[in-house]
Amino acid sequence: MSSKLIMKQVTKTFGDGDSTISILNRLNLEVNEGEFVAVLGPSGSGKSTFLSTAGALLSPTSGEIILDGESLTGKSKQELTSIRLHKIGFMFQSANLLPYLKVQEQLLYVARLTGMNSKEAKDRSERLLKRLDIWERRNFYPEKLSGGEKQRVAIARAWMNNPAILFADEPTASLDFKRGRQVVQMIADEVKSEGKSAVMVTHDERMLEWCDRVLHLQDGVLV
Amino acid sequence: MFLALREMRHSKVRYIFIMVIMLLVSFLVLFVTGLAKGLADANISAIESMSNNHFVMQGDAEQKFRRSQLGEDDLNKVRSIVGEENATPIAMQMSAVTVEGLDTKSDVTFFAVDMAGALSPKVVEGEAVTNDDNGNVLVDSKLADAGLKIGSTIKDQSTGMTLTVTGIVKNQSYSHTPVIFMNIHDWQTMKGLMSQDPEILKSSLFNAIALDVTSDQATALSGKVDNLEVMTQKEAVSNIPGYAEEQKSLLLMISFLYVIGAFVLAVFFYVLTIQKTSQFGILKAMGTKTAYLARSVVGQVLILSVVSLSLSLLLTWGLMSILPESMPFQMNLSTALLTSGLFVVTSLLGSLISVTQVAKVDALEAIGRVGA
Repeated sequence: MSSKLIMKQVTKTFGDGDSTISILNRLNLEVNEGEFVAVLGPSGSGKSTFLSTAGALLSPTSGEIILDGESLTGKSKQELTSIRLHKIGFMFQSANLLPYLKVQEQLLYVARLTGMNSKEAKDRSERLLKRLDIWERRNFYPEKLSGGEKQRVAIARAWMNNPAILFADEPTASLDFKRGRQVVQMIADEVKSEGKSAVMVTHDERMLEWCDRVLHLQDGVLV
Repeated sequence: MFLALREMRHSKVRYIFIMVIMLLVSFLVLFVTGLAKGLADANISAIESMSNNHFVMQGDAEQKFRRSQLGEDDLNKVRSIVGEENATPIAMQMSAVTVEGLDTKSDVTFFAVDMAGALSPKVVEGEAVTNDDNGNVLVDSKLADAGLKIGSTIKDQSTGMTLTVTGIVKNQSYSHTPVIFMNIHDWQTMKGLMSQDPEILKSSLFNAIALDVTSDQATALSGKVDNLEVMTQKEAVSNIPGYAEEQKSLLLMISFLYVIGAFVLAVFFYVLTIQKTSQFGILKAMGTKTAYLARSVVGQVLILSVVSLSLSLLLTWGLMSILPESMPFQMNLSTALLTSGLFVVTSLLGSLISVTQVAKVDALEAIGRVGA
């Protein structure tokens, strides 16, 4: 079984001189193919920093991150953008869909960025939207969707570029308990059916039923 | 353009509003430009259309045609230096004329030139006047629009001289009056009717001498004649009373309109960009390149300015076809294209501030934020 994400001795410090704070302190993590990992932590524990660092948005102060066999060390901003585009799927808090794109267009946009041909893009977006049971809403703008529907579109969008790993930033934060559980279950189903990996950051302990592994972010390390 | 077009589709009202503003501003730019060109034509076209490149005037005339008075002696002196065929006299006189059979009175400027020389105007209708004709003149088409025809008789108000129209010329105006061309022979007759003093007649026969010389020859000439001033056609034109002032104030208006247009677009897109900061963060986190987003902003500006320009070109064209002939409005294709091009360029410059804003947005904005 191959590892989709390896974080070795990753440290991220902010500030300079005497007032440096280490948000991540020699953090180690390995996520395998088909694995759904949850990272728990109270607010302020560094979850966002962890996710940004693992998701190639923020370069670590030291340590190494290997994404789908490719090391992020020493990569330029443009190269990181391209890695995010091809290897990572993101889910953000409260879906964060683009208000001016219809549901299917949200997915087609990702396909355009990756250079997928339009036939393949149509088919793949149709498959994803059908599997997430949101196909009949494909021509709606996000403003007409409920919170749960938006997150389902966000899941579909995150998988659209066929990424190696999905990072979800509090995907249930704006949903009630029932809808939140549904969304987490759908992420888990996609991980299994696509044979990919996922890391979900959350502070909600009730959402962990479908996760393969649950880690806690404490003092800059995962335990 | 995927994002740019869909965003415009989604927020139609917003983009239509800005487009209407751009339409009005660009229409005003085109209109004032046309007006400036039209007024310039009405003021200087008779001088500007002359094929020569330099003028000689009296030294103390401050490069103003009507202040300058030259005589036969001056002409001979200049001719002896630059050659007879390169120097030809020109005389002008503002006056008012009445047309027989019409009860209108028109302000005109009489131009007297050598009808066999380079300054003789191109006749578009009727027959040219020769140097041997007696009492025959060519008139600008603006007089023809007022009802004057070939064969009409006109009467000069100040001298009582009657003249017959034999031909029409086009685009010959001076100081906002149509020009009437006569030969030197008739001019001398007219001068004789104005003053009997032979001394005055001798020294103030012409207003200027038109030269067809190289700039080196012109410099050489001005060193040899001390009471005369040699200038380029451009200098002479810019010293026609009112011309520079008129054009400068219109140019000021036009340049302000360009700046206003650019600023309106700049502010609109700046506010829009600021509003969308977190959206841009998400797009960047998803792997969208900054260049793609910048192209998207510039693309929108381009679409807005080109569409509103096309509409205002149509409006201008429509306006031109209903404007009365007496309205000094001139717009040709090259002016319209140049104006449009410049407008698009300033609009794009205005969008640069938003592009830098887009470039500044960090993909990190996307993580840990609640609102889109």
